[in-house]
Amino acid sequence: MWTVESVIAHAVVTALLAGLAWGAAAAGWSWIPDWAVSYGWAAPVCYALFGLVETAVVPRVRYRVHRWEVTADVIYTRTGWLGREWQLVPVSRIQTVDHTQGWVERMFKVATLQVQTASHAGSSTIEGLDAERARAISEELAVRAGELRDDAT
Amino acid sequence: MTGREEREGAPAEERGAAPLPAEEPPPGTAPGAEGGAEGGAEGGAEGGAEGGAADGGPSEAGAGPGEGPGGEEGADGAGWRKLSPMMLVVAPATYLKNFIVPLILMAFGATQNPWALASLFAALAGLAVTGVFTWATFRYQVGDRRLEIRKGLVSRSRRTIPLERIRGVHVTSNLVHRLFGLAVVHIEAAAGGEGSEEGKLDAVAAAEAERLRRLLLHRRAVLRGDAPSAAAAGTAPAGAGAPSSAGGTGAEEGGEAAPAGGGDAAPAPAEEPRETEYFRMPARWYGFGALSVGYLLTPFVALAAVVGLASQVVGDLMERPGAVAAGERVFLHYRSLAEGSGLPVLVAVVAGVLLLLLALMPVFAVVAYTVNHWDFRLAGQDDSLVTRRGLFTRQSVALERRRIRGHELVDSPLERVRSAVRLRAIMTGLGGDSTRAVLLPAGPRARVEGVADEVLGGYTGGLVRHPRAALRRRLVRSVLPFALAAAVAAAAGLYWAAVPAALLALAGIPLGVDRYRALGHGRDAERISVRRGSLRRTQAVLRREAVIGWTWRQTLFQRPSGLAHLTATVGAGSGGYTAVDADLEESVAFAAGVTPEMIRPFLAAPEGAAAPAAEKRSVPDRRDRPEQQEPPEKGLRGPLGD
Repeated sequence: MWTVESVIAHAVVTALLAGLAWGAAAAGWSWIPDWAVSYGWAAPVCYALFGLVETAVVPRVRYRVHRWEVTADVIYTRTGWLGREWQLVPVSRIQTVDHTQGWVERMFKVATLQVQTASHAGSSTIEGLDAERARAISEELAVRAGELRDDAT
Repeated sequence: MTGREEREGAPAEERGAAPLPAEEPPPGTAPGAEGGAEGGAEGGAEGGAEGGAADGGPSEAGAGPGEGPGGEEGADGAGWRKLSPMMLVVAPATYLKNFIVPLILMAFGATQNPWALASLFAALAGLAVTGVFTWATFRYQVGDRRLEIRKGLVSRSRRTIPLERIRGVHVTSNLVHRLFGLAVVHIEAAAGGEGSEEGKLDAVAAAEAERLRRLLLHRRAVLRGDAPSAAAAGTAPAGAGAPSSAGGTGAEEGGEAAPAGGGDAAPAPAEEPRETEYFRMPARWYGFGALSVGYLLTPFVALAAVVGLASQVVGDLMERPGAVAAGERVFLHYRSLAEGSGLPVLVAVVAGVLLLLLALMPVFAVVAYTVNHWDFRLAGQDDSLVTRRGLFTRQSVALERRRIRGHELVDSPLERVRSAVRLRAIMTGLGGDSTRAVLLPAGPRARVEGVADEVLGGYTGGLVRHPRAALRRRLVRSVLPFALAAAVAAAAGLYWAAVPAALLALAGIPLGVDRYRALGHGRDAERISVRRGSLRRTQAVLRREAVIGWTWRQTLFQRPSGLAHLTATVGAGSGGYTAVDADLEESVAFAAGVTPEMIRPFLAAPEGAAAPAAEKRSVPDRRDRPEQQEPPEKGLRGPLGD
């Protein structure tokens, strides 16, 4: 799914850049320097190459790295592909559980679970969960958070 | 979701309930008849004001019959109250500030445009009318469960704030307010944005403000079941406050003296909210104002304002006929001077003024600081801490103890020279930078820590220094960008840019070292502490149970040296407190020591078998595989025994 999203995002940016380059060449405004017009095609091409490589590599790494785990008391997530981020959120401190699904995600029948606490720094996101499972988890978390809940701050 | 605001076209039953003067227009006045409505309100208001003056004080303000649409209000102080009639004088006086520039110009005859004059007077008259109108229609009422504020006549608004949602009640009064013995009450309720102000009573008598604050906070505490007794706290302070609010400026003194008296002398038996004074600012603390960068810069801000004003005046003058010619004459005159010996003199004068300003900087800083922090006091009431400060504008802020999660000791390099430090509270609902969170102004570290110890409970553990690799990273961070910029600029031949960049890079060396020296984290039995920063060094001390999660963050560059940022997330203050560049394994042990129940399940080898740090957190792959069960052993990370 990340591959698809990446492809789409990169395609859009490439198209934009290409459009810009073509527009610059076609409009022929005098304030655009010559070198920008003559090498305008290079930007989208370079970016497309970069996009291809990134599309090939990043989602795989991310898939290998990203982990999540829900135990009785704590939600644990690991994210990142160059930098790493480990996050622990105790269930008793959960304020809200969001369960969202974008259109690409629906295509792949996966969903994103977002767990929010009283602190904006303590909110955790699990992407690419199986949709059914995400729903089950979000309901379970909501119930458990309600049971365990103290002040939650 | 906390405050509900209704606008309605003046329904008849409410109109009956509101103790408006008799001249009030009939319900459902069409907008077209507004002029008539205003006239009626004005007449009524004047009658009320006279009545207030005859009664000699704000006690009159509560004269309205205790009658409300909810019908559930308590017996004490339940009536609809009006703002202080003094506000009729004060509000226009406050607004007048904004008109000072045009008024001065007018006084000097700079503007003789009849339209400008007419519009100015129209604006002034409008202000007066609006003030009267607001006063006549504004009502507030404290019920058992909620605070209600009503205003408006033609289109009415009614705001209801449930008492248990009130987060804070702050009282401020500026110079004009204090002259008339008034205060503004700000009521904050728990809503989305931080610092959102839900209700504002502008303005009531100072004693009434104090009474309201206690009443609101106490009732809220009772509603939440925090306070054991639901005794009539509201009536007691009201009784204590009323005699002292006999009139005029006396009211203000009374409002101030009443709470202070509770702490110093034997508290009056009827006065239920006891108050203990923890701190009163000693005179020599005002000198620390000279160490505050913000206050040191005030003269320049003032100078900029003066220059702006002058240019405005000059611009105004230039519009008058003949001004341009006069300006040209002055310019020519100046030119002839400059050709002689005028230029050096002019330069000398400007330089002299600047030097004088520089020399006076500390003086101005101390003066401004003193005005802001005059008679700073920190006191404790039953369930809140109260700070009061200010010479002209007196601010009073109540911080609820229940919401305090810890405190911060903040200092700058300048302040470190004199080992001065400031104390701030970390509390839910207040952002990291709010000035309301200030508990103590800059003062000697030992004393500040003593007060923190007494009021909030001090931190006794030490701080663990971060690994040497962190020093390297701090240095790279503070030096490299400028060094690179200098190198690039030098390569490009732009020496005017290269030199300052190189200087900045050099300045980065002590900065980086100091940043490294500031880094540290530690814990004791009840609290954890994290310190970072150089120009604004902050040591946060948090209660253990305030930590609502942990986040480790490791960039690509940190990985080889085994460093990571550890953030303790907290539902208060700035939201998270980060130990920058801590050793990854050590920080995991640290977190496990603070909240074992949160971390232990994830430790790969609790017995201390040395798994390499890189293998930490290799959980069995479970993403996207719903059919897998959670394995009993969580195969996480590290060597940590603890």
